[in-house]
Amino acid sequence: MAATNARVAALQAALAAENAAVYGYGVTGAMLAGTAQSLAYADWRAHEVARDVLQAMLVKAGATPVAASPAYALPFAVTDASAARRLAAWLEDGVARAYLGLVGVDDQALRAFGAQAMQPPAIRAAAWSGTTVAFPGMPSPQGPDIAHTTP
Amino acid sequence: MLSRRQLLAASPTTLPLFLALSACKGPAVLSGPPPVSDQTNMLLHAVTVEQNLIWLYGKTAAAHSSLKTALAPILAEHQAHLAQLRGRVIEPPGKHVPDTVTVRPAVGATPAAALTQLRAAEKAAIATLMSRLGGASPSLAQLYASVAASEATHVTELTGQIGA
Repeated sequence: MAATNARVAALQAALAAENAAVYGYGVTGAMLAGTAQSLAYADWRAHEVARDVLQAMLVKAGATPVAASPAYALPFAVTDASAARRLAAWLEDGVARAYLGLVGVDDQALRAFGAQAMQPPAIRAAAWSGTTVAFPGMPSPQGPDIAHTTP
Repeated sequence: MLSRRQLLAASPTTLPLFLALSACKGPAVLSGPPPVSDQTNMLLHAVTVEQNLIWLYGKTAAAHSSLKTALAPILAEHQAHLAQLRGRVIEPPGKHVPDTVTVRPAVGATPAAALTQLRAAEKAAIATLMSRLGGASPSLAQLYASVAASEATHVTELTGQIGA
């Protein structure tokens, strides 16, 4: 029972991160133009697809998917293209972190799903920030001291 | 049978005599190291994979100086991966944490060929790490997944350099 709860909680956390990303890319896209805006739109669509997948997984698990909030507090003011790029990277980091939480559950299939699902946001975060990191999804750039398994 | 207290109290010189007098074969712990667990073997293999990658990046940068600057950040991340992976190893009895490179391929003759070779090595490392998730502890599985995601960003970075 506890294990099932942990799995559902980790899935809900991933869904919450995807919901936030879908909202956040709306803000990001509004501040970008040209190729960057097209990329933001493609990433926005990718998060919508991922959101739908997670919702289906939760329903299949007998849980009610967490609903998206009507609005989200942004981590900083987004008033230009530079801030929009930073926001996109920040959103992707959050999504990668949430999927890494899924890797900490005891369900092997879910673990593999989380590990696979965190790669696209890690790649997108690198693209938006212009730099790679050694440990995507981990709380510290120096690496994992404490495993984050549940939200 | 000797008690734990008696064993601890015995000096190295008196222990054999002690054992003989007690007419026992000695505790099982003295009969040999226990087998290394699958999880430890997997971790040691992951360490070797990172070492091989670091070696290949070093050789590539040495062979193609035009790539040195571009490859330096990726190499630094691999060194961080190696440090984290090695830090997770509690050296098993009779087995040392690997510190030697096991695969030393010839570096690609051109920068593009060398980058393609590095990309293939990164992809292979991802596959190795992903295949080890199941048998790992939650914490270690998360480390493997994070390192694999980092390697995935390297694949994208290298692809961009090949196309540049």
